[in-house]
Amino acid sequence: MGVAIARGWQGYWAAVRLGWAISSNWTRPLLFIVYSVLRPISMALILAVMYAVITHNSAAARPYLAFLIIGTAFWSFIQEGVSEFATGILEDRGRYHVLKYTYLAPLDFPIFLVGRATSKLASASASVVIVLVVGTFALGLPINALAIDYPLLVVACLLAFVAIMAFSVTLSMVLLAGRDSHGYGEIMAQFLYLFSGAIFPISLLPGPLAWLAALSPLGYWLELCRRAILHGRVYEMFPQLSDGEVLGRLVLAVAGTLVLGYFTYLISDRMARRRGYIDMESNW
Amino acid sequence: MAGTSPSSNSSRPAVETRQLGRVYKSRKDVVVALQGVDLSVNQGELFGVLGPNGAGKTTLIKILVTLLLPSSGQAWVDGLDVVTDYRALRHRISMVSGGENAGYGLLRVREQLWLFSQLYGMSSSAARSRIDELLERLGLAEVANRKITGLSSGMRQKMSLVRGLMTDPRVIFLDEPTVALDVGAARDVRTEVRRWMREDPTRTVILTTHYMQEADELCDRVAIVNRGEVIAHGTPQALKQQVDEDVIVDLQLEPGRPLLDALRAVEGVGAASAREEDGIDRFSLLLADDAVLPRVLSTVEGSGRRVTGLIRRQPTLEDAFVKLVGRSLHEEDSAENGA
Amino acid sequence: MTQYSPLRIFFKTVVARAYPRVIATWRQVAWIFFDMAFPIVGSLAMVLVYQGLHAPRQYLGFVVMGGAMLAFWQNVLWSMATQFSWDRGNGTLELYTIAPTTFEAVLLGMAVGSMITTTIRAGVILVAGSLLFGISYASGGALAAIGVFLLTLAALYCLGMLLASLFLFYGREAWHLATALQEPVNFLSGLYFPVRALGSYVAGGASLVPMTLGLDAMRQLLLPGTPVFIPVGLETTIVAIQVPLYAVLAGVALRFLETRARSEGKLVTRWE
Repeated sequence: MGVAIARGWQGYWAAVRLGWAISSNWTRPLLFIVYSVLRPISMALILAVMYAVITHNSAAARPYLAFLIIGTAFWSFIQEGVSEFATGILEDRGRYHVLKYTYLAPLDFPIFLVGRATSKLASASASVVIVLVVGTFALGLPINALAIDYPLLVVACLLAFVAIMAFSVTLSMVLLAGRDSHGYGEIMAQFLYLFSGAIFPISLLPGPLAWLAALSPLGYWLELCRRAILHGRVYEMFPQLSDGEVLGRLVLAVAGTLVLGYFTYLISDRMARRRGYIDMESNW
Repeated sequence: MAGTSPSSNSSRPAVETRQLGRVYKSRKDVVVALQGVDLSVNQGELFGVLGPNGAGKTTLIKILVTLLLPSSGQAWVDGLDVVTDYRALRHRISMVSGGENAGYGLLRVREQLWLFSQLYGMSSSAARSRIDELLERLGLAEVANRKITGLSSGMRQKMSLVRGLMTDPRVIFLDEPTVALDVGAARDVRTEVRRWMREDPTRTVILTTHYMQEADELCDRVAIVNRGEVIAHGTPQALKQQVDEDVIVDLQLEPGRPLLDALRAVEGVGAASAREEDGIDRFSLLLADDAVLPRVLSTVEGSGRRVTGLIRRQPTLEDAFVKLVGRSLHEEDSAENGA
Repeated sequence: MTQYSPLRIFFKTVVARAYPRVIATWRQVAWIFFDMAFPIVGSLAMVLVYQGLHAPRQYLGFVVMGGAMLAFWQNVLWSMATQFSWDRGNGTLELYTIAPTTFEAVLLGMAVGSMITTTIRAGVILVAGSLLFGISYASGGALAAIGVFLLTLAALYCLGMLLASLFLFYGREAWHLATALQEPVNFLSGLYFPVRALGSYVAGGASLVPMTLGLDAMRQLLLPGTPVFIPVGLETTIVAIQVPLYAVLAGVALRFLETRARSEGKLVTRWE
């Protein structure tokens, strides 16, 4: 048992380092600027201008600007963890033709995928910080790094990361079924954008979609991030719920995602082996 | 729209180079890929360019097909200067490379070939009938409506050959066209090239390869290129005659300590090469005469290695290469890859 | 061997290169979904942001029109600007280079094929978005808007042709360059808000992308009350000037590319 855990940990750590080596953009200025600066800041600025055009920067609407910017900042975790991760796995298969070797390696394939996803989430953290800094200094959000409720923020993020990884690992396995599926990671991230409450309250969604969004852990996670960073000075999606209640719902939603992800993964993995998806020639 | 046919002057060389050279410069270093290459290929010839990886074969082809400018010297293809007349020249040539992956996976074989035919201005009906004819000849008629992504590598390579032949070029450049193909597919490619040449005796093929047997079997004349220079050229027969007076011996030994340098040092050994096959070391030796053999065997005995086979055989192009270069093609490839 | 005239080869190349673009629409259903879902979902999100801000209904129209134009911008970036880099990677660019055709013909073929397919997709986005969010347009400006749209399209794809040759210099990094341009241009060109909100200098700079002024002009024509950045006539004139400007610049870049490629030996040959 102990040996198995040690071997699993070793494999996980190797996958994290591999993912970091492949996708880390810290050391390449162009990639760092593109993915960690230009893209997230542009997204935040689009929302800031939309906000300004309608509200003319009125003081009463400031909590809604904070809602938009913090949601966009933390969205980078989903952009990297879901979209970029799934693209990376499909690229391993279609472009570099190495996925089959990883699949055959002695380490468990799901552990490898989780390791790769971890490195993606780690590399997303830069853009989260950058957008929050821009939000504070350029857009005047009242963020005080010393006043952030870090325990709440860390717990919420760790729980969300479990859900994001479960989702992205399962999604990448499902996408292996297609020859042309390399853009689907981004589409899925876009759909999650709608259901996460990142840039508008999920209550604005039409009835059944709002109900579906309430089952997702993402809305609760982002609500807790906003509360942890800005306490009462941010627009709240669930004003009737306390921090503890939101956290409770987050735990339940993450557990649900894990269960659903586990069974979907098993089915997808079996299908992938039966139909030869792992080394299938794709239209990369 | 009426087309114009360039006059074909049968006395003019199909390819001619004078002191052709190419240097690649980067911030870190300067690589001389080709230097002082003088070649003249006649119309109707199947001319082979032989050499190890990195010898300069592909650089030579790239210059001749107008993809690359020479650093020095001059080159003409079908009488046209590759530097100044490149636009006119592109009507008259085509190129097929080994392991080609060009085109669009969503297209079917026939559609893909039609697309490339249009880049040469062919009428769609003429292109289609030519494509069908060539597909039939290469045994690809059944996959004519299959998407490119569904082709095996052998089929894909044959399709590339159809692409190269369908526009009826005056000179076609085949860059390692049989690399990584199975025996049957490689034979089909060679057969079609020969048949295509027979259809018009002024058609010319420039073939680069590092398969000696292929060059020996297919080419009218061969140039051996090594480290950017043409070190010999002539008919395969003439090149083999360079080793005609040598005694050629293949020696098979059980594995043991390295012996190649010791064998090369034996008096009367003109050249030696070695390769390992199925756990057995095979040495090819060019000996000045039969009297050298006892000295060779005594060297082997002295090394403690056991002889499992000894064959005296006829010379091949590979032997000529070994004599000219001092090492086998395989060793040159290894040295290049290791470099 | 028959040698055909350059003009014949030019037109045949345009048709041939457009063919895979058009045929791909029916062969790769996944891409239709991708090309349409991305702008639709993006637009829906932005509409909901405006609803969260209690914006006037007219703003939803800005978003839907922006979403339709986004389909074109995505297409220019991912199917024009980066295409030569993909073609280079698999060896196709080598074959284009040694054929008696021109890069201009190949790029024009790509552009024509892309315009046909993307116009259909953008049309679906526009109609679906307008019906979904109940947006009405001023019918009086429709004809003029179509004219502006066609000019914008021509300028945008000429820019795509220019980018295709420029991106080639970055080799494998072209993918990242496209990503680098996507979100910032979405922001600067005012896809989801009237571009006047960016101020004269920023909006003026953003006008280098034809979509900025073209979209603003179409909004002014179809959605009365749109905050005016500059008058429609001037916007249209600038976009009209951009068409030959980008076409000539693309031609210059392609000549430069070909010369550099032949002297360096790497730009158009496949990655090894």
